[in-house]
Amino acid sequence: MRASLFITCYNDTLFPETGRAVVRLLERLGITLDFLPAQTCCGQMHANTGFRGEAFSQAKRFVQLYRDTECVVIPSSSCVAMIRDQYQGLFEELGNEELRRQFAALLPRVFELSEFLTDKLGLDDVGAYFPHRVTYHASCHGLRALQVGDRPFRLLRKVSGLELLPLANLERCCGFGGTFSVKNAEVSTAMLDAKLIDVLATGAGYCTALDNSCLMHLGGALHRQKKAIQTIHIAGILASTVEHPYRAGQ
Amino acid sequence: MTASSSRRTILDRVRAATSADANTYADIPRNYTHRGALDTAARLHLMTERLLEYGAEVIEASPADLPATVAHQLQSSGRRTFVACPALPPELLPPDVNLKLDNDLSFDEIELCDGVLTGSFAGIAESGTIVLHHSPSEGRRILTLLPDFHLCILRASQIVETLPEYFARCPELPRLATYISGPSATADIEMTRIKGVHGPRFLSVIIVRDDL
Amino acid sequence: MTTPAHHPPVMDPRFAPPFPAAALPILQNTQLRTNVAHATDVIQTKRNSLVAEKRDWQELRNSAAAIRAHVLANLGDYLEQFESNCTAAGGTVHWATDAAEARTIILDLLRQEKASEVIKIKTMTSAEIQLNPALEAAGISAIETDLAELILQLGDDEPSHIVVPALHVNRRQVREIFAERMGLPQLSDDPQALTAAARTYLRRKFLSVPTAISGANFLIAENGSVAIVESEGNGRMCLTLPRTLIALAGIEKLLPRFSDLEVMLQVLARSATGERMNPYTSLWSGVVPGDGPQRFHIVLLDNGRSRILARKVERQTLQCIRCAACLNTCPVYRQTGGHAYGSPYAGPIGAILTPQLERMQHAQSLPYASSLCGACYEVCPVKINIPEVLIELRAQVVNQQRAQSSRWFDPMFIGMKAANVTFASASRFQIAQRLGRIGLRVFTRSDGWIHRLPSLGGRWTLSRDLRALPNQTFRDWWAARPSKGNR
Repeated sequence: MRASLFITCYNDTLFPETGRAVVRLLERLGITLDFLPAQTCCGQMHANTGFRGEAFSQAKRFVQLYRDTECVVIPSSSCVAMIRDQYQGLFEELGNEELRRQFAALLPRVFELSEFLTDKLGLDDVGAYFPHRVTYHASCHGLRALQVGDRPFRLLRKVSGLELLPLANLERCCGFGGTFSVKNAEVSTAMLDAKLIDVLATGAGYCTALDNSCLMHLGGALHRQKKAIQTIHIAGILASTVEHPYRAGQ
Repeated sequence: MTASSSRRTILDRVRAATSADANTYADIPRNYTHRGALDTAARLHLMTERLLEYGAEVIEASPADLPATVAHQLQSSGRRTFVACPALPPELLPPDVNLKLDNDLSFDEIELCDGVLTGSFAGIAESGTIVLHHSPSEGRRILTLLPDFHLCILRASQIVETLPEYFARCPELPRLATYISGPSATADIEMTRIKGVHGPRFLSVIIVRDDL
Repeated sequence: MTTPAHHPPVMDPRFAPPFPAAALPILQNTQLRTNVAHATDVIQTKRNSLVAEKRDWQELRNSAAAIRAHVLANLGDYLEQFESNCTAAGGTVHWATDAAEARTIILDLLRQEKASEVIKIKTMTSAEIQLNPALEAAGISAIETDLAELILQLGDDEPSHIVVPALHVNRRQVREIFAERMGLPQLSDDPQALTAAARTYLRRKFLSVPTAISGANFLIAENGSVAIVESEGNGRMCLTLPRTLIALAGIEKLLPRFSDLEVMLQVLARSATGERMNPYTSLWSGVVPGDGPQRFHIVLLDNGRSRILARKVERQTLQCIRCAACLNTCPVYRQTGGHAYGSPYAGPIGAILTPQLERMQHAQSLPYASSLCGACYEVCPVKINIPEVLIELRAQVVNQQRAQSSRWFDPMFIGMKAANVTFASASRFQIAQRLGRIGLRVFTRSDGWIHRLPSLGGRWTLSRDLRALPNQTFRDWWAARPSKGNR
């Protein structure tokens, strides 16, 4: 099976280790992975901040770039939500029927990482090994927009050595919200503080999620407060094996 | 703006805003539960349970025992002066109780009454709701508002399980309706639930077993 | 004075500070934040358990949303039907294009009544049109009869929640207000005693004031009736005892038929207060001889609603039935309460309704007062896709900004334009990545993290560190991989 990786603009720049983990993981599972270097951004940041015209051009690039791929895998539920929820409206507004049709054909082939593993590959057990206490944070886009449901839990439960600790108030937003985190920094911080109380109460050594955006926000505060708990994208956990266990900075 | 020009302005704006829409009432999906699944005994049990949950007293009576039950409830209520709806059957009005019929009583006269006796239009078991359409046997709205104690006669045959069933069985649209699902309550002070802000603080319901 | 009412918050969107600034003092008010969290938790827990119990909840939601959408799509017909039926039943229907006109109509009616006092049932619409100050200016005393509104009125304060407006006030504060304003120095702070004091104080008013003002939860087109949904009984008092009743209602409040209440009442009570049914719902048509007010007026208010109606994405805003479930679930509202929104309408619905009522000329910070988490959409009984409307309104705010020369002094605007330029080509993006990595080095400490940034970045580093940009981006790593036969 072939798949094309859309790394996302922020993972590319800030969390390349997540991309490397996705590659290790998918190649281990026998996927022939490619990476189209012309990719940049899905347009979510612009669309959600109100820069709709700018988001159009980014959405157009995405659809045209991936028109002929077998499927696209994206390690970010918020970017997939952008594509699933907003692209249609953008193309309709643009009045570009050709693009809208291309997008409609592409859409079923776009997957968030956990969806790709459980739905497309039919796997819960990806052969991972991560002997640590882990808690899972449910990013809002994954939870509500994508309705990922128990997919991440099924994957994490099959990770050898991993002790999964439940997070209280799982469905409550961590306060990142994209540009909200700077436009409403104080309120974002208040929401973050409330979330960290629950995260720290789990006693986990690692906090994981489908999105590095939430983890950047949580991890940034955890580092500021000098807490021991680390954040790690779910790809980092699933890429870790007995032969090649996870080491920070890989 | 004159009154009629404001009306015209608003309606014109509204019509212009919705000119492209075609949307019929019949197309509204209605896949919610319409009819209940409970049999009579279970339905009565549910109605009773809900009434008790919100602090009402529930008494069952056969049609033959109704007058005696009404008399007993009024006498043992600890109240002295009552008002009753003018169209209640006279045999239900106990003779040795201080009870006025509401034949155009003034507010002051009603305010002096501690309790009121009425019939009702329907009961909705799912929520323990008592429905009054304020016919002469249910009384003007003020009657069930000012006195502190309300003795309500509800026939088993009037009790339905679901809210849609009540609407389905209204023979005509009521001009007035009051839906009672508990004593008045507020949680405005520190979310502490306090009952009996305005309106009767005490409700007793006689369920008449006209189904037996 | 210990009440927060000493400096009442600004609830007029034309003058209220932007949301981030308005939120600041509240974030430091631990008492209020604890109260808000507690209140919303209580209601949410009850709501969730009743929703779980209601097996046809999603079907009810679908129907409720469809009924409201249908009404809006046919609003002209239903308004005329309501007017005709209400008039035939003895009511008088008035039409107000905007807030000023609504105030004028109401004041004229009160002058005809020679009213020096009026009792009021809570209606947010009257706050929207700023009725009370107008009444005061005309020498008419407006007495709020909802317990929370009474507390706020006597305490010179503003509501912070749609359904539980005084949740930011604790019992000691209520005691102080009542003791002073009702002349009850011995009053205890037990909620039971406080409520009893309010009951006695208000009963005198109910029995003597001949004119009442109400809102409306639903207007029934089929027979011209009005429904009011309440818990306390003050509604029933105001709807039954006075001689004259004036109801104020937004034009969107319509339902086609009486039986449509079978859907709306089921979803409203569960969403608003976490009950299967609220204690009292009252329904009346026009004037009924011998029962209740013999003069009934209803003022139908536009005030910007017809404009919202015309907008494809925004129209759903008008489906709202004011249950406040969105407030109770909103993680932003949980931290700030209602005062930060600077408007009678707070929380997620306030964030979309208020700027639109203001024709997007004010309250432009409100569409941004959200992390777009979507919890509100999930609980909305009429399925308003609030995040979708928020994003649409943000686009309108930015479009306004595009026409202003000051935009080039806004770091966010500049940043967005620059980002768009870089995202337009992969090579440009790569250059930007390298420049960014180099540029941020100066802020990177020896622990490999950035602890403080200037300008907009400083808003991030207010509470969070930022890991330094890695030396190699993902795309550079991929490009440098020994080929595995992959492109």
